[in-house]
Amino acid sequence: MKRGLAVLLLAFQILSAPAYARRRAVGQPSNGSLPVANFIDTEIGAKLQQNGIAPAQRSGDTEFLRRITLDLTGTIPSPADVDAFLADGRTDKRARKIDDLLRSDAFVDRWTLWFGDLVQNVQVSDNAREYYLGKNAYYAWIKDSIRTAKPYDAMVRELLAGEGDSFQSGVANYVVRQLQRNGPPQDTYDNLATHSAEKFLGIPVLCISCHSGPSHLELVNIYLRGKTRDDFWKMAAFFSRAAARGTRYTDPANPNANLIRYDVVSNANGSYRLNTTDGNKSPRAPAPGQSDTVTPAFLLTGEQPRAGEAYRAAYGRMLTADRQFARATVNYLWKEMFGRGLVEPVNGFDLARLTVQPSHPALLEALADELISKGFSLREMLRTIASSNAYQLSSSYGGTAPDQSYFARRLPRRLSAEVLLDAITTATAVPIQLPVQGMANVTKAMQLPDPLDARRSPASQFLDRFGRGNRDDVARTNDSAISQALSLLNDPIVTNRVRRTNNSTVQKVLAATNDPGTVADQLYLATLSRRPTAAERTIAINYLRGGTLAERAEDLQFALLNTLEFLFV
Amino acid sequence: MTFSRRHFFRIAGTGLVGSYFADVLDPRLLFGATTAPAPKLRNTAKSCIFIFLAGAPSQTDMWDLKEGTWTPSDLAPTSYGDVRWPQGLLPKTAEHLGKLAIVRSGLAWAAVHQLGQTWAQIARNPGGATGAIAPHIGAVVALESQAARTTADVLPGFIALNSGSIPTCGYLPAKYAPFGVQTAESGLSTLAHAEGASRFSNRWGLLHQVDTNRTTGALGKPSLDMNDFYDQSKVLMDAPGINTIFSFADAEHTRYGASTFGDSLIVARNLVASRKGTRFVQTTMGGWDHHSDIYDHAAAQSLYVQCAELDAALGALFTDLTAMNLLDETLVVIVSEFGRTVGPLSNQGGRDHYLRNSTVFAGGGTRGGRILGKTDAQGSTVVDYGWSAARDVRTEDVACTIYSALGIDYTTVRTDDPLGRGFEYVPTAKDGLYAPIEELW
Repeated sequence: MKRGLAVLLLAFQILSAPAYARRRAVGQPSNGSLPVANFIDTEIGAKLQQNGIAPAQRSGDTEFLRRITLDLTGTIPSPADVDAFLADGRTDKRARKIDDLLRSDAFVDRWTLWFGDLVQNVQVSDNAREYYLGKNAYYAWIKDSIRTAKPYDAMVRELLAGEGDSFQSGVANYVVRQLQRNGPPQDTYDNLATHSAEKFLGIPVLCISCHSGPSHLELVNIYLRGKTRDDFWKMAAFFSRAAARGTRYTDPANPNANLIRYDVVSNANGSYRLNTTDGNKSPRAPAPGQSDTVTPAFLLTGEQPRAGEAYRAAYGRMLTADRQFARATVNYLWKEMFGRGLVEPVNGFDLARLTVQPSHPALLEALADELISKGFSLREMLRTIASSNAYQLSSSYGGTAPDQSYFARRLPRRLSAEVLLDAITTATAVPIQLPVQGMANVTKAMQLPDPLDARRSPASQFLDRFGRGNRDDVARTNDSAISQALSLLNDPIVTNRVRRTNNSTVQKVLAATNDPGTVADQLYLATLSRRPTAAERTIAINYLRGGTLAERAEDLQFALLNTLEFLFV
Repeated sequence: MTFSRRHFFRIAGTGLVGSYFADVLDPRLLFGATTAPAPKLRNTAKSCIFIFLAGAPSQTDMWDLKEGTWTPSDLAPTSYGDVRWPQGLLPKTAEHLGKLAIVRSGLAWAAVHQLGQTWAQIARNPGGATGAIAPHIGAVVALESQAARTTADVLPGFIALNSGSIPTCGYLPAKYAPFGVQTAESGLSTLAHAEGASRFSNRWGLLHQVDTNRTTGALGKPSLDMNDFYDQSKVLMDAPGINTIFSFADAEHTRYGASTFGDSLIVARNLVASRKGTRFVQTTMGGWDHHSDIYDHAAAQSLYVQCAELDAALGALFTDLTAMNLLDETLVVIVSEFGRTVGPLSNQGGRDHYLRNSTVFAGGGTRGGRILGKTDAQGSTVVDYGWSAARDVRTEDVACTIYSALGIDYTTVRTDDPLGRGFEYVPTAKDGLYAPIEELW
């Protein structure tokens, strides 16, 4: 059995299929090893060297600038940003740019959206209805926490112990989001344990919420194979004193809606009982001789609450103090920056295989150390990642690029729905109005509190097509689709914005010059955040001269908005 | 206990790994495998219209009507032969009962919406070993029909109407992913270029001149997938008459019940009639999660409202497919992720999640006018499975049935999967653990 299992485990290691290059890529890998800017490069470089793989060359300034601006702030650099960065002769200009971006308002929007995805802040979900008031309160708390650089562990502790009126207190909505109304309260406790373990520890404990691990999870998770449903119940018992007291709420603007506002409290008493036969889980019953009352104990350590310690506060303390919390967090951040986690899937950690499951086990531990030593500062962690040479490698790679798990080059990924829409409105300088119930309109999709906001705006279908998901049962995706290509080619969101009206980029460029070369330069800068190469410039000039300059300038920006370079980063 | 590697495959493949309901597992499925004979494929259908009733409708108020003190009189239970039918809910569908085969011995694996929906669309446990790489059934159909495509087949093999974000192509190439369409009277708004065809031609040419990444592939496989979708888009834009398939007139909209779901069945009908390469059409109708007020006429999504919409659309679809001589070659399947609790209503006046459910088949060579399987007086358990396998009908069996009808070997094990373990279209079907419902033919 052992050999068979080992083969399978090996197979799991390569779950992420090697990227196959149908056509030869351009560019050349560097000849040497990865230069070391920090410990990340030591680890990435060592594995490359062991496997005889050359890293790609360092990204050029414009490739780096566009990438770091999109990754940290979800926006494309303006022509002025590009010129200033290129003109900057200081050797530490990349570090300075990273600092600027970490301090920007756009950074707050981009990471508020990330955390909103993680905790699934929505107005309406399958289980509960937060309503726009609850969703907006939650959004405000997340945004404020990111803006004020609240340590990440403190954020999570606040959420796990969150109380108050769900329409006022953002953190109260953590419990509201997991209410399971068609089952006993234990179903809700289970949801809370499952969600917190998956999202904050990266461990898929859902499996053991219905059955014990042995003879089920051999192929899925060796660590959880050794755990029982009883272990899960002990974890869920930390939530057994959380209560959400619902009262009917009537919105004068929407009097027929069946709305509930919740007061989330922590009871002084209460326990997780093994006495259910209905709801969404298989029956809960004590084993012969076992009490039907479960005492809380943390899955990873068996630790119990201290005398007098509130259950949820105890859980938050244990969860955020556990090293796995730091591992899972850095893995999420790594994926945001590199497009692939060191452990994949990011919610699939197997604690029994920490030395073999991560693509770079020692790096994962070093990153966890770094996060802890930096006081769980998201910005500091992102600065460390962005400062590495590994992050700054070019996407170009000669020949067949090695499997992405080596991180030998940047693997470009499609801009996410909101980022792409914002990139189009920014590049064309024709803004969009996105309505948000209970708040002022926003002009950036990155500022939508919930991906389902702006339902009635023309942008809504566009965002859906590009896989924004719904933060409930439809996950966000960066996959491509035929409807996306059709949209980029024919949707008025694109075609109207390249017209020489509405004070658009094309209109402004044409007002300033009628020189085809300058038109080409300006449209490349506005769209791709770089100047054209000599060959591209020649193609563009020839095209612009082939007809009415004004029309042809519109065509050029249309073409640039449809380049793979614009759509990917 | 010592497990062989083969046993591990089998456990994983039965969809039991990470199963959410350990207590419904049948140990015979684990170790009592019998080797099935080489499969006999029916190959009686050219395409499949897959209707997903998301949220899970109440089977004992509809396909497997059970009458009791809770039954409102306006459900108007009516006998058609020995079939009791909710005439008050589904009068137009009743006119086509002779075409329907209703399977009442279905049993879902999990009473959790997303999980059950995904399970039914990928024919395996989403949390199991191959769940994360598994394509949608429709993507497999698209892949399998690829070889027979001609230049006239300009439409994607798999089209999903009003279905939101559903499982896609899994590890298969992105071109087999569903083409998602939100139906509208005017058709696909993005099929035509606002500035006209000649301007578009210029723009397309310029794009391909400046965008060298489309030929070098320098940005990697995901970018080349996107490039493939551009090529497919161009084919669609250039082909004549495509938008007539996706658009419809007011009169038809009305005849199909004046609903978004009805619109999707008009387009589904057009797609199979067009014979332009689409072999699997999914349409999804939500709103069936009747935890409360199921019989309340005042409720916005009561059973009456939902059924009225469903019934008008189904009635018109069966009428049209029959009149157009398309029903014989088009398999229509109506599924849901699970069923609803039976007997008296809950204290919320609704029905909660329940594993027992029904599946409806019509056309595509199947024989209608029949009921397969029998449940007890309230519908809580099965008293007769109604098919030769003599067990519950699982979503995996429904997938085998669809594949067989379309002439696709449901026991196929692909060897191109990233796990390198072999990817089964339907896990363990090759061992005979799941099978087509042969009694439908």
